[in-house]
Amino acid sequence: MTSVVKTMRVGIDIGGTFTDLSVLDDDGIVAVGKALTTHGSPAQGVLEALMELLQSHDIDAAHIGTLVHGTTLVTNALIERRGARTALMTTEGFRDVVEMGREHRYDLYDLDIEMPVPLVPRRLRIGVPERILATGEVAEPLDEERVATVAAELAAEGVEAVAVCFLHSHVNPEHEQRARDVMRQVAPGLRVALSSDVNPEVREYERFSTTIANVYVQRIVEEYLAELRSGLHALGVRDAPMIMLSNGGVTAIEVAQRFPIRMLESGPAGGALGAVAVGRSIGEPDLLAFDMGGTTAKLCMIEGAEPLLTHTFEVSRVYKLRAGSGLPVRAPVIDMIEIGAGGGSNARINSLGLIAVGPESSGSEPGPVCYGKGGVPVTVTDADLVLGLLDAGSFLGGRMELDLDAAHDAIRTQIAEPLGISVTDAAWGIHATVNANMADAARVHAIERGCDVDRLPLFVSGGNGPLHGPGVAQALGSPSLTVPPAAGVLSTLGFLSAPPAIDVVRSHFSSVDEGLASVAAGIYESLEEEAATLLSASGVSHANITYVRTVEMRFEGQGTEVEVMAPTPHADIRWDQALNDRFHEAYRQRFGPVAPERVPVEVLTWRVKASGPEPSQALHFASHHAERTAVKGTRRAYFGPEHGFQDVDVYDRHHLHSGQEIPGPAIVEEPESTLVVPPEGHATVLPNQAIRVALTSHEGGWK
Amino acid sequence: MIATPAPGLAAANIDPVIVGLVTNRLHSILDEQQTALINTAFSPVVRESYDLACAVFDSRGRMIGQSASGTPGHINAMATGMEHIVARFPHGQLADGDVLITNDPWMTAGQINDITVATPFFREGRLVAWFASCCHSPDIGGKILSAEAREVYEEGLRLPIMKLRTAAGPDTTLEEVIRANVRTPDETMGDIYAQVASNRVGARSLFALMDEHGLDEIDSIASAIMDRSEAALRSRITELVDGRYSASMEVDGFGEDSLLLAVTVTVENDEIVVDYAGSSPQSKHGINVVINYTRAYTSFAIKAALSPDVPHNEGAFRPVRTRAPEGSILNCQEPAPVASRHLVGHFLPSLIFQALRPAVPGGLPAASADALWMTVWRGVVDEDRERSYFTLTSFGAGGSGGRPRKDGLTTTGFPTGVRAAPTEVLEAHTPIVQTARELLPDSAGPGTHRGGVSQVLRVRRRGKGTWSVNANVDRVKFPAPGAAGGAPGRRGSFERASTGEPLPRKSQVFLGDDDEVILRFPGGGGYGNPWERPVDRVLDDVIDGYITLESARDDYGVAVEYSGPADALVRTERMYRVDEDETDRLRGTR
Repeated sequence: MTSVVKTMRVGIDIGGTFTDLSVLDDDGIVAVGKALTTHGSPAQGVLEALMELLQSHDIDAAHIGTLVHGTTLVTNALIERRGARTALMTTEGFRDVVEMGREHRYDLYDLDIEMPVPLVPRRLRIGVPERILATGEVAEPLDEERVATVAAELAAEGVEAVAVCFLHSHVNPEHEQRARDVMRQVAPGLRVALSSDVNPEVREYERFSTTIANVYVQRIVEEYLAELRSGLHALGVRDAPMIMLSNGGVTAIEVAQRFPIRMLESGPAGGALGAVAVGRSIGEPDLLAFDMGGTTAKLCMIEGAEPLLTHTFEVSRVYKLRAGSGLPVRAPVIDMIEIGAGGGSNARINSLGLIAVGPESSGSEPGPVCYGKGGVPVTVTDADLVLGLLDAGSFLGGRMELDLDAAHDAIRTQIAEPLGISVTDAAWGIHATVNANMADAARVHAIERGCDVDRLPLFVSGGNGPLHGPGVAQALGSPSLTVPPAAGVLSTLGFLSAPPAIDVVRSHFSSVDEGLASVAAGIYESLEEEAATLLSASGVSHANITYVRTVEMRFEGQGTEVEVMAPTPHADIRWDQALNDRFHEAYRQRFGPVAPERVPVEVLTWRVKASGPEPSQALHFASHHAERTAVKGTRRAYFGPEHGFQDVDVYDRHHLHSGQEIPGPAIVEEPESTLVVPPEGHATVLPNQAIRVALTSHEGGWK
Repeated sequence: MIATPAPGLAAANIDPVIVGLVTNRLHSILDEQQTALINTAFSPVVRESYDLACAVFDSRGRMIGQSASGTPGHINAMATGMEHIVARFPHGQLADGDVLITNDPWMTAGQINDITVATPFFREGRLVAWFASCCHSPDIGGKILSAEAREVYEEGLRLPIMKLRTAAGPDTTLEEVIRANVRTPDETMGDIYAQVASNRVGARSLFALMDEHGLDEIDSIASAIMDRSEAALRSRITELVDGRYSASMEVDGFGEDSLLLAVTVTVENDEIVVDYAGSSPQSKHGINVVINYTRAYTSFAIKAALSPDVPHNEGAFRPVRTRAPEGSILNCQEPAPVASRHLVGHFLPSLIFQALRPAVPGGLPAASADALWMTVWRGVVDEDRERSYFTLTSFGAGGSGGRPRKDGLTTTGFPTGVRAAPTEVLEAHTPIVQTARELLPDSAGPGTHRGGVSQVLRVRRRGKGTWSVNANVDRVKFPAPGAAGGAPGRRGSFERASTGEPLPRKSQVFLGDDDEVILRFPGGGGYGNPWERPVDRVLDDVIDGYITLESARDDYGVAVEYSGPADALVRTERMYRVDEDETDRLRGTR
């Protein structure tokens, strides 16, 4: 008899500080690991961390069937400006589009703001004679001789990559394509990217910026992925790794190399997918995923087991994380907001004499006052410690003793005494303020997308998620929150539950009339063909692909589109009428009942998301040992002015058993985080080891 | 100004934590309102360029907060404008579902294109708050926006403070009148609908906030927020050295008649009085400023200089008093024409900075291009194919002033928050074709921290047909002055490309099918002695073409040599070097 070899699946996420790994088989999670990220040689770092984890769990690399990988490499390369020496070839007269941007002073009152610095300095931004009009007509032919001269000179000046970005190329790409052909002949060593290829959408600043960023990081990504692939092969992993994209899908290495910009933010995308997967397994398809770490918190809406997507975001913000101070990139990305609220966020008294928290942060170095590593400003973690929500002795599983007295003194001198309130009130003020900041951010995020955040259960992760999640949930009026198992490596679990997927897009302007149905059919057909080709590189056969067709529409004359699902063709209703109805419904949901009358509707952008089959994956520990009693002690903790200090039981999460009920107030600890069950909460351990805390509605509040 | 809080509403006993939470939440709500406005607006002026402002007011019309973007002229003028709105429609005359509208220049933002839509919101029959926005309409009839009118009546359709809608629906008569009077009925009405809808978006979230916290009114928390803002600004004013600080500035005005703007800022204890006595009398042309707008840019300047971090609301206006002689250019009287009032009003912040510079410890930036360059294009779409008309308002920024510790911002407006629209959007929307939009070398005022670089814009049309442009622009005669030893920025210009002839500004200029016009925007003033700018930064500016070799030598005392091929199209760092001996010699002579 031959023994049955289980096929292992591995997820690896390189973050800014830690590299997270998880190994799963058909029964669930068999190993998780965390290693410090090695910035010098990231591929080597991944291989070493993987080898170590496999060895310590006695797993044979040959048994690894699928390996999915996400990395912050692209983000870091952009922030640290480590990309290729890149030039811009553009329409003569428009070399400064990427420096002038939208000419927007994004803060009215701050006289010190800074603008994003383009990836290509002005000396390498070269205009060539050519002009295409908005209609697609050629107003001035491309000066091919000039293109050839410029290409030769760029190559001679050590330029490695050229972004070719002409006006209106999303309407007519001929000049860009011709320029590429000419450059290939003259300077075959130059890497050339076309804006009509990378991001064929209107608005030149965003399109040029995206195209430049893509070609700027391409070599780094290619080299890294090639090294990773051969390294994994040498380890004995048979198949090439799959790459996590920011849209929540995975793809083959070849596609990632062509569109490296789509790997931005893949780690956080994994976190959102982890929330989707766990949510699905416990019957909660609609969630607000909330991740809170040491410096920032991230929030993401999930509807019908799909995270919301956006098509534009900013990378490398240079001034106080402010919108407008980063480089715009247009690519499908899971729609997440990041706010400066974490355990290390600094609390202070602002100019109004009120408690304010963040975005300044003490991070992990020097960290909060209670770390005793030289941190001076009071932080959220200091307040949590003083309130008894954290324990000085069991932080990080007891590996790090916290200094309660120092935290207490700092809150007293920095906040309580200047405001004339007690230390407890000051600490609670800090705790409640940071929770409210996050709840506010969640609300704006939701409302801007036409969602109602109040009814959504929260899904919490990150070192501080379980501690502050309940407060955020109460501020939002959420019915419950869920804490997943293995929250520390959630993103890697998300990677392994993501299907192969790719988004393709086309700009095609049209009014909504009877002829649109056949136009739409043609566009979708060609988009789906393109997507299927890209997906086949990931080993997905055409028969197994699911397509989601959406379209971006607006009232004629507006500048912002509303994305709606394209209706399925139907015999009883005209396709364009069905589409029109969907638009009006979506518009009403987002902006209320006052919609313009008698104004026709137009269509601009067509999108197809193509996905392969969803992997079915059990996301709980394959083996687990509950103890007779999970209570490891009691402590005194503060639960707001209504309840005051209370003595509560402290549970060890690893000893909880499925079905166990924990009425609030209570505290559940694991090495990476502390869950606070408020007096209005009631926790239940679910069959998959996740904990759900039901919250009774929070009456009244501040009177 | 609006009355101080009634004694019963004194908010000293409200928990400061709650005041903080509500303050932050109101800012989120205003961002929601603004996003909804931008997303539903029709004109490129609003949806691409953000010529708008949103604000929330308590039941008595006192401004509690404003949205993050937008433009100060609108925000602050709306704050004082609400006083007039509340006076015209006291509580008894308003019902749930009412929406008010006005564009009266003397009541609100000083220009007939700027339409304010204000909505009172009710809970259980009681008015609890107002949401309002002010947007620049792409057209409001009358003359196409310029300074050519002699009376406000020529400038377009004037709407007194009146009801736009009630619970029963829109006032269709009013809508038809507006549509019939403007060149852009769909855009003008579409934007007004966006204003109505976005006010509701704001209120929806405010109601949720009130529900959550069991509030049946917001006036007492609003009072607390205002009182705290007022106290914060007063404490900043106390840090200044008491005294009288004066400055004056000459600006282009209209035609041959330039204007003098003069200010005296008196700082005493915790109050500031800003007096514009000595400024020119009101003009026969449409560049006159109503006192609302003068106040708006005055309080903007004081806040930006002293307390950028303090939330902006009615409380922050209280310590600052603004005076301008009646009948002066900064306090014009009816029926003065006012359409291009921003070409005067936008200079006030730089003027105040110039006066206050000695009093503010960290220093203040040099003057910027200041007045926003606005062009309005009008014409037949295409005689051969489509005999309809287009109207397009577009904006562009020159350089902003050099700062005490940083260079000025390149092609970034100051004091306005309005931004440019993409070339591709403008060209898809109209037959306008921009043949160049790029930075203008040597436009930045030299300084240790130089001014921001400005731009050159070249415009022609496709197709055939009558077309015209109104270039509402300034600093063509008088450049942006430098500060602390910095040199002025370059002057702007507006010309016909084929002949180089200067074209009339602030007036309608008719163009031929093949005409092309060139707009060179003014650069920002420099800050600090340019001869003290680090040599490597001057070199970088040369390599990147922000300044020429000649300017490096003459303005900065840095001798840079170019050694690359004369016909090189790509000129990189290795082709330039600094002649250090010559630089030492040049810099040593000063």
